[in-house]
Amino acid sequence: MLNGTVQRTNPATAARKRARLRLWPRSPAFWFLFPAVFALAVIGIYPLLVALYNSVHQYRLADLEAGTPFVGLDNYVATFADATFWQALGRTMLFLCLTLPLEIALGLFAALMLHRSGLAWMRAAARVSLVIPMATTYAVVGLIGRLIFNRQFGVANYLLSFFGVPPQDWLGDPTLAYVSVMIMDVWQWTPFCALILLAGLTMVPKEAEEAARLETRKRLTILWHIERPYLLPGLTAILILRSADMLKMFDAVYTMTRGGPGAATEFISVYIERIGFRLFDQGLASAQAMLLLVLTIVLSRLYIRYIYREVA
Amino acid sequence: MSLSLLGLLTIGAAPRSHRARTGRRRATIWHALALLVIFLSSVFPFYWMVTTSLKKQADALAYPPVWRFTPTLEHYIDALFTHDVAGSLINSLIVASSTTVLAILLGTPAAYALARYEFRGKRDLWFWFISNRMVSPVVLAVPFFLIATKLDLIDTHIVLILLYLTFSLPIVVWICTDQFRNVPIELDEAARLDGASPWRVFWKINLPLAMPGIVVSAIFAFIFSWNDLLYALVLTRDNAATSPVAATNYMSGYELPWGEIMATGTLIVLPMVIFALLVSGRLVQGLTMGAVK
Amino acid sequence: MNKRFLQRKLAMASLAATSFLLAAHASAWTLKEAAAPYSGTTLHAIFLDRPGYTAAEKLIPQFEKETGITIKWDVVPYESTRQKEVLNFVSGGAQDIVLVDVVWIGEFASNKWLVPIKKFTDDPKLADPNLNLKGFFPILLDSFGTWDKVTYGLPFDNYSGLMFYNKCMLKQAGFSEPPKTWDDLLNVYAPKLTDAAKNRYAFALQSRRGETQSADSFMRMLWPNGGSLLDAKFKSNLMSPQSQAGLDYRQKLMKYMPPGIVDFDHAEAVNALAQGQVAMITEWSAFYPTLTDPAKSKLGDCLGIATEPRGPAGLKPALGGFSLAVNAKASAKKQAAAWLFIQWITSEQMAKPYLEAGGVPARTAVYQDAAVQQKYPFVKPMVESWQGGVPDYRPRFPEWPAISEIIGEWGTKMMLGNVSVKDGAQTIGSKMEAILKKAGYYDGKKPLLK
Repeated sequence: MLNGTVQRTNPATAARKRARLRLWPRSPAFWFLFPAVFALAVIGIYPLLVALYNSVHQYRLADLEAGTPFVGLDNYVATFADATFWQALGRTMLFLCLTLPLEIALGLFAALMLHRSGLAWMRAAARVSLVIPMATTYAVVGLIGRLIFNRQFGVANYLLSFFGVPPQDWLGDPTLAYVSVMIMDVWQWTPFCALILLAGLTMVPKEAEEAARLETRKRLTILWHIERPYLLPGLTAILILRSADMLKMFDAVYTMTRGGPGAATEFISVYIERIGFRLFDQGLASAQAMLLLVLTIVLSRLYIRYIYREVA
Repeated sequence: MSLSLLGLLTIGAAPRSHRARTGRRRATIWHALALLVIFLSSVFPFYWMVTTSLKKQADALAYPPVWRFTPTLEHYIDALFTHDVAGSLINSLIVASSTTVLAILLGTPAAYALARYEFRGKRDLWFWFISNRMVSPVVLAVPFFLIATKLDLIDTHIVLILLYLTFSLPIVVWICTDQFRNVPIELDEAARLDGASPWRVFWKINLPLAMPGIVVSAIFAFIFSWNDLLYALVLTRDNAATSPVAATNYMSGYELPWGEIMATGTLIVLPMVIFALLVSGRLVQGLTMGAVK
Repeated sequence: MNKRFLQRKLAMASLAATSFLLAAHASAWTLKEAAAPYSGTTLHAIFLDRPGYTAAEKLIPQFEKETGITIKWDVVPYESTRQKEVLNFVSGGAQDIVLVDVVWIGEFASNKWLVPIKKFTDDPKLADPNLNLKGFFPILLDSFGTWDKVTYGLPFDNYSGLMFYNKCMLKQAGFSEPPKTWDDLLNVYAPKLTDAAKNRYAFALQSRRGETQSADSFMRMLWPNGGSLLDAKFKSNLMSPQSQAGLDYRQKLMKYMPPGIVDFDHAEAVNALAQGQVAMITEWSAFYPTLTDPAKSKLGDCLGIATEPRGPAGLKPALGGFSLAVNAKASAKKQAAAWLFIQWITSEQMAKPYLEAGGVPARTAVYQDAAVQQKYPFVKPMVESWQGGVPDYRPRFPEWPAISEIIGEWGTKMMLGNVSVKDGAQTIGSKMEAILKKAGYYDGKKPLLK
């Protein structure tokens, strides 16, 4: 991924390569890249352009009799003025700020536990079990959530009863519904963080670790000084991917709460889907989706600029 | 990352000896406890889904929950045949395999080029590849629906296969670029000196050595394609519906047949889980066999 | 003399001949013959996972055998049905038989997606002489299948809101009869039937965000109190004292309903009654089979059925249902075949088999049979509800889906206490008027149809 190992070349080869600064159709690199770029351009860029086009027109699928006139920036203005849009976005950003640190912290803990020597077969079992949440279809995660958090017969309330807590209305109470979605997301993606951070930990030279362990007993010191540089690239990857994923989050929420109760779990992608496929206002939905895309790209570039570090 | 991702699956293979002292023993107990918690929390929801799918409806809705019960396969039969989950699984298999193969065919040469060659704008090109995965499906679903309608491709496999390239191709490029960088350039140069064309260098030298990483990217591409919901919801009807769409068919408000819902969920997820578990072992094989350090 | 005799003979002969021809012509229409040119056609329909459709599925083989027309159906959750159908209309997807909810008729008809049945009823080859449109309950034909005086569909899956209650729970609390008015329910019955400690509540009102909130929860509280969503000029009537009284009533009822009621959909409300958690529900008549199924319901003989409670404005129960219509985008051949099916499944001769298979037909004749009334206890209150109900219980114009979304959001917020009844009603009113203004109802561009 992003641990960016620098190419090991000798100076002569490097010079030769730097000379080829442009992609000519003659250069082999061009032909290696062309099929993929072409495919992605046709499938990825063209629909984006269509979406852009739609965003400046009125396009209501359920009202095509009214035509599709050009409306300029009306859809964008309507989006900026729409309180529900900003609330949905705010809800999503809050989710990001709460859940992502949690996933990283728990993932780091799990990675450290899996990295620590001893208990080989237990570590292997735990490591393999981490695959299960990651492989589960998001839609099914939502269905499992509905079952576990059911007020009447859900096992979550059963487990709570051991701590003397009365049965909670997980899916009916707005705050708890939000929390339920958080819990399922943490369940599904902490393993992803754990495995990536673990990969970083295994790159740490054993000698450095052993030397540090002889000098200090504090685990945290070792973590900060020795292991951190190897964790940062993975951390950047996690931040970029998970942020993008949370802004896209739809499937699990759709099957678990449909955005309810009230609007408690209506995240931005759920909201846009509702505008586009329930109210069938494609023009408005396209505008909103464009804004969302811009946000995602800005976030990713920020992560790369400020957090990404090359490891020599 | 890919190599290290493989590496993680082999750590712990070489045991280290310590002298067990009382302090160490206590630490080991905490360690074991932590690992147990990790294991149980990963497995529990999956376990719950599978057991619910095997319980009769009354058992499934019982509170306090029933831990011992007589299993029944009626929900699976209902799901597979009455609700045509079987058909949707086949569709999922066709679509996911095809898009993975296509992504590998297109993506590995591109990743190789990004790893080996320098040119202006490379950084931006790489970012553009990756950013495709960040696009919210909601953005593309609508235009894609309109385009597919005009081309009469609604409810076909091909439309999903092509659309899924928007995230399977970036994954392949992301992971394989790194993998190719780790292949020593000296091998390339030796081959070039022998008169091999760039394509031969790629095909004969780099591809086999990068295989473990390519396999990992294929796995991720397959899993993400299998799991997609939104595109499939919008672009398919009854012919090409994939399995996540089948999962949403139970959301009607009238009756909630939990046994059947969980059976459908298990049918959808089990192939992925088994696949991933099986392949994690094979990755180890690939690593010890072919990887050059 | 001879001439007149001959004339008379001739007249009688021609009279006889004509009547013979007429009789022959009248008995010549059979389904088999009418369907002959379409034999081998395959039709696509969308069905829901509900008893009325399972009943149709049981009867379809009979139709297929007689006509040679095959019917394929997709079972889809209600929440996705409109979406799938609109996408089919827009993209030319395969669907010949359209399922039209009462609130979609305006939208579908004004987009010219449906074929007026006149096209088929005027065609002697396709029109069954026994069709008898007057044999339908007028409110159902008008409400589910007609828009702007043109009929597009025939009522197929028909509901009325009914009160299902637990006789035994009521008896234990000292009541021998269900409440006759909403006031009684709140003030007399509810306190005695609610015991939160024992997880027993008097009532459950399905209120989940979506059409459930709009139709079942919100609108139900307006009509019996004399309120309504819109006034005669299509402006919001939610701030009227009667409408406010209705919405306030719902808030007062909250403490007698289970916690988390805002997330209850039909399944949860029916289950609450079936498992003995609540004493009364007002739900769609279609749930009768579920409530009497020993595998799903603990009620047994304790189940009681009555019309919904009355309000100051009288009996205004919930009205809902679906009609089947023909897709205007289908080929002429498929349109004709689809019409034959729709005509057949809603015909008077199929009404009793449909009822016995678990469906609820819209024909008045079948319910007049005393044996039927005895066998199906929901028939009497349902017929009574249909005879007095409100045809525009929910406005059926194309703007309803958008308005329903607004009510879904703010209605649930009201119930959760996130916004006061007054503020919530005000918000719904202004957002609704914005939509209607944009559609042109206020400046005469669009006729005031609902």
